[in-house]
Amino acid sequence: MITGKRRYPGESNWKGWFYLLPAFLVYLLFTFIPIIETFRASFYDWNGFSETQTFIGLDNYVNLLSDPLFLKAISNNLVFIIFYSIIPILIGLLLSAILTGKPIPGFSFFRTVFFLPQVISMVVVGVIWRWMFNPVSGPINQFFSLIGLDQLRQAWLGSFKYALPAVGLIGSWVQYGFCMVLFLAGMQRIPLEYYEAASLDGANSLKQFLHITVPGLKSEIGVAMITTMIAALRVFDLIYSTTRGGPGETTLVTGFLIYRSAILNNRIGYGAAIATILTIIILALSLLIRHFMTEKPSEAI
Amino acid sequence: MKKSRVLMILVLTLLLILSACATPTDQPQPQVPSEETTLVVWDQFYRDEESKVIETLNTEFEAAHPGVKIERETKVLADLQMTVKLALGETDGPDVAQVNQGRSDMGALVEAGLLLPLDDYVAQYNWGNVFSSSVASRNSFTPDGSTFGQGSLFGVSPTAEVVGVFFNKGIFADNDWSVPTTFEDFEQLLADIKAADITPIAFGSLDGWNAIHEYSAIQHLLVSLDYINNLTYGVNNVSFDTPENRQAAQILSDWARAGYFSEGFAGIGYDDSNNLFKSGQGAMTITGSWFAPELMTGTDQEFGFFLLPGYSGKSTMAIGGVGVPFAVRKTTRYADLAAEYLDWMISPRAAELWAQAGMVPAMSLPEDSQIDTDNLFGETLLAWETINKNNAVGHYIDWATPTFYDTLVSELQKLIGGITTPADFTAAVEVDYANFLQEKSQ
Repeated sequence: MITGKRRYPGESNWKGWFYLLPAFLVYLLFTFIPIIETFRASFYDWNGFSETQTFIGLDNYVNLLSDPLFLKAISNNLVFIIFYSIIPILIGLLLSAILTGKPIPGFSFFRTVFFLPQVISMVVVGVIWRWMFNPVSGPINQFFSLIGLDQLRQAWLGSFKYALPAVGLIGSWVQYGFCMVLFLAGMQRIPLEYYEAASLDGANSLKQFLHITVPGLKSEIGVAMITTMIAALRVFDLIYSTTRGGPGETTLVTGFLIYRSAILNNRIGYGAAIATILTIIILALSLLIRHFMTEKPSEAI
Repeated sequence: MKKSRVLMILVLTLLLILSACATPTDQPQPQVPSEETTLVVWDQFYRDEESKVIETLNTEFEAAHPGVKIERETKVLADLQMTVKLALGETDGPDVAQVNQGRSDMGALVEAGLLLPLDDYVAQYNWGNVFSSSVASRNSFTPDGSTFGQGSLFGVSPTAEVVGVFFNKGIFADNDWSVPTTFEDFEQLLADIKAADITPIAFGSLDGWNAIHEYSAIQHLLVSLDYINNLTYGVNNVSFDTPENRQAAQILSDWARAGYFSEGFAGIGYDDSNNLFKSGQGAMTITGSWFAPELMTGTDQEFGFFLLPGYSGKSTMAIGGVGVPFAVRKTTRYADLAAEYLDWMISPRAAELWAQAGMVPAMSLPEDSQIDTDNLFGETLLAWETINKNNAVGHYIDWATPTFYDTLVSELQKLIGGITTPADFTAAVEVDYANFLQEKSQ
């Protein structure tokens, strides 16, 4: 029998699949099956442990769209994108430009220090910042008193005005180091000749940054956007360890609402429906960013 | 064609592996006849002084029941709440477990048929003499789990709690302030303390739940026991949007506006506000008797406890209740032994051990008890005995509906943050309550 492919004697073409088996098994058990299960559960009314699961079709989804808590949570998640994604990318770009512009003493020290927040567990980050923001003993309010600006003291995490930006800035603090390291690596790829040519043509540092560095980092920015945006949309631990969604619903996010519905209120189906919608939003945004930000082969020089 | 066959082989292999994994647990474990019976108990007494009480009781139980071994597993309440619901459905789940009160926990488990009704044992062990009916209703549900507060008993609680006012004796003595006996006096005292430039009430609402106690402690002075029972157990179609509830909301928001709470209270957590109070930053704090043991060590300040006094001429009712109860898994093989264990947990001996640990026991102390009650613990114990004797034990109102806790926390933060009015507050909470009553009647 003649097959189209060339094969060495004794080699079979299906053996290779088995090398995938361990990873595939893990993926199947811990990612794929739970996703399918969540999707299925979103069509049921179920408390999570009793044997009766009632099929209710799209009811969970219909109820969601008229649930003010869900709409509030989604809009808070969108605000979080500013703090988790846009601000860190801007700071990351700025820092990497500064750090690579001229040789700075202690370059690797700064690079490590800026990256540190990224490696701390989110719950620890939450606990630290809760203390930082403490109205009585926290360093932030004490600093304002020290410089004589007592009127700037706030109940940060409990304030209807400042809680959301305060929690958001914690996110920025965590994410910018990651963006910076990503951009620093990407900048190694940009040929120095570009900068030389540009300065010969009289372009200043700002122009060089805008016209050489930023376009050169297009794919890195894309990666940073996808990762940070996903982090913004699925944020849970930070909220859990700081404000628990309060005051009122000021910092309520989708991730926390899922926890509240599915775990605390025994409404697995409802929680699953929120999770499904969140997954779809994350997928759609990721694909969109990938579409616009990935370097196409034809564009490469 | 070939590819799909490869895939099929893959899937089949997978299924084989999976079924191989699953088989052993499906097979009945061979019963080794042994003289040793193991009673698996899950509890949430993880703090040192609490854990020692349970350890002692367990050791004594084992000594009194030769051949019985207790396998204890301790979790923090949040973990226990999450895992116990699934574990009680397993044939090898815990025989005895602490199950939190209220609809979302005990109610849901009763509805799912996972807990053993204890009616037979109530008579056998005379538990009617240990607990008042008001206390027993907190651990009771109708067998279908639909009605809270009546029907069968599903758990017994070893400890009791009462929400009242802790005060700093040093600050009171320095300023010649005395313990108020009416609510009018109490409000005057708040104004006096504020005028002396001291924080009247150490309080922080960042964690939310303690704001419910702050509000409901005032509410309990304005409403009747019948009302608070109806509201909590969801019977007789009461409303939350009442003049009394509005008045309580008005008082709380007035206190917030008058600066009676710690500076920046909205951004302070429960533990932090307790630490403020313990370190002398605040003349009083309103919280539960569970805080007493912490105030009796590690501080040079001296503290006292009193019940929030009622309006002159009106009786005092206080938020109170019994702690997380022990319940029995319906499918346990050792139901009688489990009930015996429950009885052990609420024995006079247990009462004594809890009192020694500084926690108010739900049971009476034995007559000949040698416990020192001439201290802060004694004051909380006396407060509990007072409301228990006078049938004035109120409720944690967040049990009323599955979402009541979230709703109350959120709406109270808005109220004391000055975002909403007392009328907005009661109206918003009533939406949650009315929804619940409507769903329940369907």
